[in-house]
Parts: sequence; structure tokens; C-alpha cells
Amino acid sequence: MSARPVTTEDLLPFPLVPEGTTAKDIDDAVSLPMESFPTRRWWIAFSFSLGLLLIFSVNVTITVSQGIGTWGVNNPVGWGFAIVNLVFWIGIGHAGTLISAILFLFRQHWRTAIARFAEAMTLFAVLCAVQFPVLHTGRPWLAIYWMVPYPNHNNLWTNFRSPLEWDVFAISTYGTVSFLFWFLGLIPDLALARDRAKHPLRKFIYGLLSLGWNGSNRAWSHYERAYGLFAAIATPLVLSVHSVISFDFAASIVPGWHTTIFPPYFVAGAILSGFAMVTLVVVLLRKMFNLQHLVTESHLEVMNKIMLATALMVGYAYASEFFVAWYSGVLYEKYVFLNRAMGPYAWGYWSMVTCNVFVPQLLWFKKFRRNPWLMVPIVILVNVGMWFERFVIIVTSLHRDYLPAAWGMYHPTWVDAGLLVGSFGLFFTLVLLFVRFLPTIAVSELKGAVLQKHAGAHHE
Amino acid sequence: MEKEFKSKGAPPRVTALVVAAEARPISLTEGGRARLAIPIREEPNSHRSAEEQKVDGITRRSAMKFMGATMALASGLAACVRKPPRKVISRTSQPEYNHPGQALYYSSTWTDGPFPYGMLVKVQDGRPIKLDGNPDHPINKGTSSAAMQGSLLSLYDPERLRAPKGAASWAAADQQVRGALKTAKKAVLVTRATIGPSERRAISDLRSVYPALRHVVYEPLADETRRSVWRELHGQDGEWLPRFEWASVVLAIECDFLGTDGVELESIQSFSGTRVAETADDTISRLYVVEGGLSLTGTNADHRIRLRPSLAASFVRALRDAVDERTPIDAFAAANDLDAKLLGALVGDLKENRGKAVVVAGAGLPKAAHAATALLNRSLDAFNKTLEWNPQPAGLIANSKAEIEALVEDGVDVLITLGVDVVHSWSAFAKHLSAAKLSVGHGLYLDSTLSACELRLPSHHVLESWNDARPRVGIISLCQPVIMPLYDTRQEAESLLAWASEAPDAAPHTRFRDFLKARLEAEELEVGPGMEVAWETALHQGVILGPTNAFVPAELDVPRAEALAATPLQAGAYELVLTPHSSVWDGRFGLNAWLLEVPDPVTKLMWDNAACMSASTAKRLSVETGYLVKLSTPDGSVELPALVQPGLADGVIMTALGMGRAYASAPDEVFGTNTWPLIPSEGRVQFDISVSPTGEETSLVRSQSEFSMHSRPIVLEATLGEFRANLEAIQEKRSKEHGEPIYEPFKYGGGHKWEMAIDLARCVGCNACVIACQAENNIAIVGKEECGNGREMHWMRIDQYRDPVSHDEDELSFHHQPMLCQQCDYAPCENVCPVNATNHDDEGLNSMVYNRCIGTRYCANNCPYKVRRFNFFNFQKRFVEDPVQKLLFNPQVTVRQIGVMEKCTFCVQRIKGAEFEAARTGSEMSDGVVRTACQQACPASAISFGDVNLRAPAGPAEVAVKQQSARSFLVLEELRVRPNVTYLARLRNEAGEEAPAPKKQAEERGDE
Repeated sequence: MSARPVTTEDLLPFPLVPEGTTAKDIDDAVSLPMESFPTRRWWIAFSFSLGLLLIFSVNVTITVSQGIGTWGVNNPVGWGFAIVNLVFWIGIGHAGTLISAILFLFRQHWRTAIARFAEAMTLFAVLCAVQFPVLHTGRPWLAIYWMVPYPNHNNLWTNFRSPLEWDVFAISTYGTVSFLFWFLGLIPDLALARDRAKHPLRKFIYGLLSLGWNGSNRAWSHYERAYGLFAAIATPLVLSVHSVISFDFAASIVPGWHTTIFPPYFVAGAILSGFAMVTLVVVLLRKMFNLQHLVTESHLEVMNKIMLATALMVGYAYASEFFVAWYSGVLYEKYVFLNRAMGPYAWGYWSMVTCNVFVPQLLWFKKFRRNPWLMVPIVILVNVGMWFERFVIIVTSLHRDYLPAAWGMYHPTWVDAGLLVGSFGLFFTLVLLFVRFLPTIAVSELKGAVLQKHAGAHHE
Repeated sequence: MEKEFKSKGAPPRVTALVVAAEARPISLTEGGRARLAIPIREEPNSHRSAEEQKVDGITRRSAMKFMGATMALASGLAACVRKPPRKVISRTSQPEYNHPGQALYYSSTWTDGPFPYGMLVKVQDGRPIKLDGNPDHPINKGTSSAAMQGSLLSLYDPERLRAPKGAASWAAADQQVRGALKTAKKAVLVTRATIGPSERRAISDLRSVYPALRHVVYEPLADETRRSVWRELHGQDGEWLPRFEWASVVLAIECDFLGTDGVELESIQSFSGTRVAETADDTISRLYVVEGGLSLTGTNADHRIRLRPSLAASFVRALRDAVDERTPIDAFAAANDLDAKLLGALVGDLKENRGKAVVVAGAGLPKAAHAATALLNRSLDAFNKTLEWNPQPAGLIANSKAEIEALVEDGVDVLITLGVDVVHSWSAFAKHLSAAKLSVGHGLYLDSTLSACELRLPSHHVLESWNDARPRVGIISLCQPVIMPLYDTRQEAESLLAWASEAPDAAPHTRFRDFLKARLEAEELEVGPGMEVAWETALHQGVILGPTNAFVPAELDVPRAEALAATPLQAGAYELVLTPHSSVWDGRFGLNAWLLEVPDPVTKLMWDNAACMSASTAKRLSVETGYLVKLSTPDGSVELPALVQPGLADGVIMTALGMGRAYASAPDEVFGTNTWPLIPSEGRVQFDISVSPTGEETSLVRSQSEFSMHSRPIVLEATLGEFRANLEAIQEKRSKEHGEPIYEPFKYGGGHKWEMAIDLARCVGCNACVIACQAENNIAIVGKEECGNGREMHWMRIDQYRDPVSHDEDELSFHHQPMLCQQCDYAPCENVCPVNATNHDDEGLNSMVYNRCIGTRYCANNCPYKVRRFNFFNFQKRFVEDPVQKLLFNPQVTVRQIGVMEKCTFCVQRIKGAEFEAARTGSEMSDGVVRTACQQACPASAISFGDVNLRAPAGPAEVAVKQQSARSFLVLEELRVRPNVTYLARLRNEAGEEAPAPKKQAEERGDE
């Protein structure tokens, strides 16, 4: 029994790459989409996404030029699809940082293959998300800078008591840190792209982006330290950003919003939806770019396990909301929850419960966890369910609050639908540009694992 | 010379005499305007040559250009702000009395409506911007109705007819009319019933010039059935005016005296005054309403008995028999499946309150019901006690359609309509107009009547006209113009004078004034040489009050009444009750967007009317709200959407008249359905109609969809007996505050603290406050579609709640609750606004900084009362950009832009105005010096507003006293938002608890 150094291999639930994969194999596989002319599949996907993005732009133009009246919002439902979409996209944006930062700190090395995707997705999701709070204001041309506290001669400040103001800080911090974290991880891989580039312009651009990376020990040591640091900074943000978003609701006095369970409930839901989205994108991309050997079914299985766990948490939250509403004895709370389950938007509520709680139960079966084509419908349904969760929270609470005389209904318009669908266009356009121009898998990290494995073999 | 006539509560007024005659029209003359326009910005002028500025190849100018371009890019989005271009126009001469920024007030009379109320017009910089009641007018006493408030909007309506059509000029038109009248063998002049005495004189003068001219009165909603019965039974013309202030028991039979039947402002004042109890000794009147439809009065009843209108006459006869102790009421109750106990209580109440009870029957009922009611009132000793005889009703006796038809059917040479849209309510009249050799229409719009006329003459708006009115004996009410005519229009009476004489019009716009003044001097006033002073005083006060005697009519002809009351009546399976529309009346305000958009107080319908039916009738017909039904009567048939309105009698369909008008410019955009084809020749009830669903559906727009209170502490109520037995009854029902606020409570400085109290015992739900608020605060009109999307902008709304009385879903009791911003001390809207656009001020107001608002709508979400309104579109664009419509705006209130939240601020502009004035004069502010627009309009005096910190001797303020009432409560008190609007609970005076004992009122009256 000789004591041997603990290697990455020992910490992995499954082998990261197939037996016999060399560093060059990894370089080639990851660089292929960046270096070859895009495939027909990419072009089809890209033109479809651009089409959706066009829908988005058209509807943004309509909204800004004609007013929020083109949406379905009204009195009493002041917030509609836009805020639903905001919370939805921010939720999606949770998985990336969670995977890269928290799992990094916990030394979950299986994350390596999917971390880059996930981080990129986070950024794009946050980008999609921030469109909505700006668009949904009545005067976005002012909102865009009046929400930011800046010194001015009128001594006019923002209201630091407003949860919306907290959002500004929470989302901008999260977006900034996520971007820096992502970019930091990209640096060695961008240097790889630079080194492999043949065209001088390519070389110049990747060179500029890789910030003069030379691969020295010194650079690596700084890099590792910075990466760890950013992981530590990003970790609390994963929990804070959705907690703060949930304060938009929890800090109000609207029955159905004013509950203390919201921060953990929102975070759990966000992780659920984020992982579902990552799984969806990963399944599609690994197929599209033949990366099945780097992003394996074992990766997908771990993701699915996390989804199952968070789905159970979300289910618990749904149940406890009802219990608390009943237990509180508050007339308005009781009514809101009865109305959710039995009122005019009951279809939304039951879609939510079905998609988020019942459907993920299939993941108890190994087959569903490992077969990409069985999990795709599940993750799509989970995302539908999570979108409905926000719809249910926002619309059913507002449409019937305190004074029955002021009750109303919310009917989304085509512009609402266009913005929702179009935001996916923005998201997928960015995703496709990302896979075309940037390394989609953390090559250096993966190579590190491979090389360490070989090194370990030598020691044997 | 300015005269400072100070009257209670009224701002100082000036006579309009000089202003109207000599003041120049404000900025509306086309000629001078362009020259006077001064652009604010001037072109920058560069003094240095380009070479001089050039340094290192880049000029400073080009550097600035790049910087500018960068800035423009950076603020690219900001360029989306649509700020309307504005011009500064200076005056060439300052109008007399006019101090810039200060409003002038003129007394006048609102002659547009069915009854001439006194009016006080606020004129700012030469343009009328607000109408209110004239406090000196003895009928409406400073209060106003929604329709009266709404008249202002019509003045600036861009769709008004702006010049004569069918003739080149007024002179040519006059020439043509005079020529035609001269040669006519038969000429007919059609007017409304409510024309003033001087107009009547002008007509008789015209008739003396042209003997062939006949004058007929067309008033489709005249009180003619009822008045003709009285005329027949008393042998003289006149009307019985109910005196609710002296009545302990009121029985209304299909009579909406608080809404559309009679002089509603007077009735609301007198009735609501009898509804307030504060101590265990106080008593209140008891209102029974027996009706087939559902009226605003019905929603205010202590007891409502659903009874088909065909049974009204026999019911009243049965009541009389029971009151006179001939036959008990039980037989009638049993035969008609009514609550015998309740009817027994009604009979008991009436018997015990002889001389203190009044029965009123609705103007729409047939003659038999009115004869029976007259007999019952006689049995109850109501004549000359709770009913007062007015020998001189405000309106002329209206001619029936048959009479007019008989006159015009074999052709007339000249047919003139003056200020009445005959064709809208009587479409067959159009063919008479086209058959006439010369047809002349005189009106505000190119309406259906004017469109059918050869000569189409534009009328003045009431605010541009001279007139007089005689609402009652001993009251002369004067109407004066408060703005020079906006267009090339002429008031109808002026035309009458022009047609009567060949003399050229020497004094345009004042000819009728001189005529009116001369008539007053000759006939009404005995002032001798003091006429000028008297005239100016009269104009200043708006009314001339003469002696009023009590008139006692001839005895009721009992046998004749009994014969008339026993007229048999055949009724079918379905009966139709046609009612005047709650705000557009007979249709004369049917193009007024304020009045179309205000929700009907009963049905909450906006921009529409519907066939209302009870839930069980709807089930029987298997229709739902929005299904189109065809109503067929012997007089005509109409298709319109059904509305399930619980509370109607079964088998009764109720619909409002007056809707279905459209602007000439958009004839396809019709507001509601014209139900005039259904009107019977007598009364407004069709006793046998057929109803058939067409199978089609449409959408109805209502401001409210849920009417149940869901057992929430929103409107508290107690019965009178409960309250008298336990004065704490309401206080015990109040919900308790929960929790502690997270943030430090706002610290008040101890200065003014503005609060409001709304007495629900007084409020009848009439909508006057809603429109007053809209006029005062520049509130946008959004149109039917946006109302349907839930985006109406009214800062004030009347919430209606319905409580089941029995297991029958049509047996309901109703609550009206005016709802407006509660100006909470711990306002939940304030802490959620990210940009501090809504703040608390140190006088208790929750203020809005419109310019700072970015429109997140978070405040609206977090408002438990849902009183915040958002500008989803640039609703005001049309008004801001129209040179005429923008004159409507109150300059003291910001016109809100797209994307901005708005709400009630307790008329902060009035508060600040009064505070500045007090500071300027160094005087203390007394209670009542600030009145909100809603408070000022309210005919029920339900709203009190003031400074709760006002100390003696000026205080305590009325509002502070009301807050201490045993009936006071706060809405949603347990939320602990500390609203600053206190509500006072309504007390329901239930029969059987105790007989009402109006000792207080009897004492006040003295002579009884």
C-alpha cells in the first residue's frame, strides 16, 4: 500500500475523456468549429435565431415608439410578460456561475467539460434578462440612467429602499462578475486560438483578447489564483442575485408576493431552470459539433440529478406556500392561493406544477438521466414550467388583490409574445456566435486533467 | 370696475358684461397669431471666420461637432421623447380684470341639461377650464352633476360645426330663411322644452312676424305623462315636487329620483340629508324602492322590492287600499309572489307616517300608475306636506310625436329645428325634413338632424351664450358667455331675432343680450332707473331671487283619478323599461367623451348600453353577458348586447336610451346602441315585447367585474337599530392593525395635515365627483378599447359591492364607495419607487413628481387600493396637439406624458394656491378654504376635506369632527398603511326594527 498523490481522476465520478484521448485531440475537437467554415446545420440554426432576433427588434421598436400600452399590462396587473421574462432569464443565468464557481470550489472536476457553455449561457441569459426591466418602464429613455445613482446638482438620488434599485445593483454586479470570470477562464484558450490561427487578422484579434498570454508558469500561477478568487466572489452572487430579484415581490404588500420563503424558493427554481437550459443547450451542441466524447452522458446524468433535487425543493416550496397561506389565517393570502389553483389562471398554475414537480420525477429512472433524447422533452418542459411559475406568481397575485372592485384580467398581446419568443432569438444568436468564434470547452482545464492522468500513470 | 362680492365659499366674481363685450378673443384669431409667435430658440450666430478658428487642421467647430455627434449617439434613446413644440404668444392688449395666472369666476346657468342649474365658471386667461355649481343658486346650491361638469369638454370639441353650411354666410342664411318664412303657407319651428323665457319671447315675436309659423316642443324625455295626469286631476298645469327633507318614509316606484328622474341635484341634497345618524337619538329616513329595472335609487334603498312595471299601478292601488284599511296587502303579495311581511311593514310605515311619507312614481310609468300614486299620496296626506306644488315647471309642455306628425305630415314649407337632435330619437322625422321646401337645422354638431337639413347652422355652446331660465317660481337664473365664440357660430335665440327683422345685425353677440335685458326690465324686474346696477348685480350673482309663495293646487279629482288608475293593462312575458342614460341623458351628451367614458353607476358599463336582465331571466333566455339579443316591440326592434344584471325583476329588460350617436367625421364609430326605436308613444315602458338571442356575441366594457366583497373589511355597514342599540357597532366591526412598519414613520412638522372623510350614508354614487376630478386634473380620455384593456385613467372611481339579501341571486343590497388615493401615512407605493418619484410631503400628501417618474408601475402594484393610473399610451397627445382642445387644460396641473404614473393628490394645486394666498395676505387659513374638486361637486355633501391640525377658533375642521364619528372606519385598516381618507359607514334603516320617528325633523319644521 503505497501512498500516492490524489489526482483529479480520483475525484471524478466518471472518466472525463475516453481512454487514450491526447491533448491534441482535445485541441482539434474544440477548435474545429472555430477554424472551419460553419456547417449547414449551424447556418440553419443561425438564420432561425436571427429571424427570432428580428422579431425581438421589431417588437422592441413597437414598444418604445408606441408605449407599454401595446402590451397586455393594465390596472391592476402592472407587471406582465416583461417581468416574467426578466425573472425567467435571470433564473436561466444561474446555472453558469453555479457550475463554474461553486462546483469549482467544491472540486467537482466533472464540471470542466460543460463549465464554459454554462458560463456563456449565463452571460447571454443575463443580457436577455436586462432587456426587459428597461423595456417595461414607461420611459425607458430615462430609466436607462435614472435608475443609476449618480451625483447631480439637483441632489436627486435613487430610492435605496426600492427593491427595484437593489435589482440594479444585484444584476449589474452579477453580470459584471460573471463576465470577468468567464473572460478570465477564456484567456488561455484564446491564446490557443491565437497560436493556431493562420490569418493575420484572426491572429491579431485573438491575440488582443488573450491579453498577451505566454503560458509561463508565472502566468499560470496568477491565472489559477485569480480564477479561485473569482470563484469565491461569484459564489455568493449565485445565491444573492435571485434572492434580490425575489425581494421585488417579497418586499411588497401584495398577497401572494409578500412571503419570506421567496429567496430560497427563487434560488432553487433558478437552479432548476438554469440546469434545464444548460442541459438543453449542451445536448444540442454536442450533437451539432460532435463533442460527445468530451461532454459525455455521465455529465448529463449528474446535471439531471441536480435537477431532480431542485425540482423536489421547488415542489416543497409550492406545498409550503399553501400551508402558510392557510396557517396564517390571512383572508387575502388564502384567497390568492385558492385563486391560483382554482381561479381563471388555474391552467397556468397546474402547468407549472406538472412541469416543475411531476415531470422531473421521471429522472428517478436512469434511462431518462442518460438518454439525451429522453431528457430533452423533460428539460424543455421544466423551462416551460419555470416560466409559468413566474407568470403565476406575478399575474395571479396582481389580478385579484385587496379590493375586489379593482380586480381584472391580464391578456398578453402579440407584442408580449413577440418579445418573449424574440428574446430566445437574442439568446440563441449569441450562443451560436459564441460556438463559432470562441472555444466552447475549457481546453486548458481539460488538457490539464488529461495530462495529469498521464502523469499519474507514469507514477504507477 | 371690479366688484368684490363675497359670498359664502365662493371665490370673488366679476360680471362678464365688460369682458364679453370688450375683451378681445384670446389667442384664437387666425390673423394675428403667426405674427405674434416667437420661436424660443434663435439660430447661433458665429462672429469668427472659419480660418480664425482653425487650429491643427481640426477646427473647434468640428471638434464640437464630433462631441455633439457622440452625445447625440449616447442619448439616442432620449431622442424618443416626444415633447410637443410650443410657442410663446404675447397679448397685444391685456383683458380687463385679468391678472396672469389668476382665474376669474363667472356666474352663469347651465341650460344644456333637462333642468337649468346655476353654474360658476372658472376662467383662466380667457378660457373656461372648470364648471361648478353656483353657490348662490337656490336649487343646486353650488353642487353639480357629471353632465354639467362634462359640458366643458363639448365647448372645445373639435367636431363642432364651425360655420354655416348650405349658405355662404350667416347673412345669406338669414336672407334665405326670411324669404322662405315670408312666402310659407305653413312653417314649423321645433325646439326643446327647456328653452328660457326670453327665448320663448323671441319665438312669439318671430311668430307675430310670420303668422304661418307654428312652434312645437319636442322633448323625448319630457316628464309629460306624469305632468299630464297631474294637469288632468288638478285641473291646472304644474308639478308636485317631492320634499325628501320632510319625509320619514319614501316609496319610489320605478322612480330614479337620485339619478335621472326629476331635479336630481336637489333630490340628492335633500334625501341624503335625512340619512345621517350620529347618536342613539338620531333617526334616518327609510327608502323603499319598488321597481322592475334597477336604478341608482334602487341601489340606495333600504328595501328593494322587485316588481314588474305592469304591476306598478295595481300595486299602488293595493297599497292605498291597505293604507286606508279597506283590504290588507297580503292578497296582493300572495297573488304576485311577494314578501308579505315586507309589504306589511311598508303599509305599516306609511300608515304611521301620514304627512311624513311620500310616494314618487317614475316618469316612465303609464298614466294609471301616476293616478294611483296621486290617490295614495292623498291618502297619506302628502300633498302640500311632503309634496310641494310648483305651478311653473322649468320646461314647456312637450308635444307628442303624434301631434307633431299631424302637423307636418302633409308637408311644410319651412321646417326649423333649434338645438334638438330630433332624428336621433325619432328617425322617421328625417323624411319630414327632406320633404320640407326649406329645412333648417341649428345645432352644435353635424348630427343626424342637421345632416338631414338643407341649411345647417352652428350654435353657440352654452358657455358662449346669453340666456335666462326660470327653474321655479321666483327664480330667474342668468346665463352669460364666458368666452368669445370659438367659431363662426351664433346662438339659436340670436337667429330668431335675426329672422324676425330685416335690420342688419349691428351688435353681433350682444343682440340677444340686449333683448333679454330689455325683457327683464319690462317684465320681471321693477327697478326703474336702477336697472344697470341691478343687471350687473344679477349677472354677478347669476340669479335673481323673487318672493316664493307656497302654492296650493286645486283639489285632486278623486273619481277621475280612480277611473284613470283602474285603466287595465295587458302585459306579456317580457317587459321593457327604457331609462334615460345616466350621463348622456336623451343622447344630447352622447358625443361627450367624458360622459361616455364614465362608468354607469349601476351597470358600470362604459361607452355602451345593453339589454340588462336578471340572472334568472338570462337563464330562461339562455343568454350570457355579451350575447346579442333582439328586442321587438310594437314600435320597433333593436339588436343589442345582453348584460346579466342581478337585481332586476324577472321578465324585465332594462336598457338606457340616448346612446348610439356617432361623429359626422366617423359615422361608423357608433357609441352604444340607439334604443330610441323601442320607445312607446306614452311613457317609457313596453309591456309586451319579444326577446330573441341572435346567436352572435360582442364584448361589453365595464369598469368593474367583481361585485362581491368576499367578506373583506372594505365597506362597513350596520342597521340603524343595531347602531342605536350600540353606538360602537361600527367600531367593533373595524379590522385591527397588524404588524409594525419596517421603516421609520414619516415625521410631520405639526403644520397642516390634509385629510378627507367620505360619508357613505350620504353618497348615492352619482359620478359627479368622478367627472369633476377629471375636469380639474386634466385626466385623459382613453376610449372604449383601452377601457376594455383596463386602462381607464379616472383618479376617482365609485366601487360598487353587492350583498346577497336572500338565497335568490337577484335579491341584493348595494354599496357605493368612492375610491381615490388614500394618501397613506405609511404609503406602500413610496418605498418601492426606484427613482423617488412618489414622496410624502410634510402636510400628509402622497405626492407625485411626474417629471421624475420612469414608469416601473411598481407603485401601482403595491397600492392595495389600486388607485394609481398609468399612461400606457400618449393619451393626451390628441389634446395637446389640437389648438382648440388644448385650451381645456387646467394650467395648474401638469399634463402627463406617456409612460408616467398618476393619481389623486387631493387637488394639491388648490391647496398650494390657498396656502400662497394665505401667506401673501398673512391670514390664517380657515376650514373650507380649500375644497377638492370632488368635494365641491358632490350634491350629497358626502365629502369633507380639511386640515385636521386646525385648532380653535378656526377649528376643529369638519373633517376632524367626522373622523371622530361613531360611524368612522378605514378601508383595509389591518394593513396598517394608515390611510388619510376616513369613511363613515352607511346605516341601513331596516323595516321592522323600529318605526322611524322623525321628531328632529318635525321640530325643525316648526309648523307641524
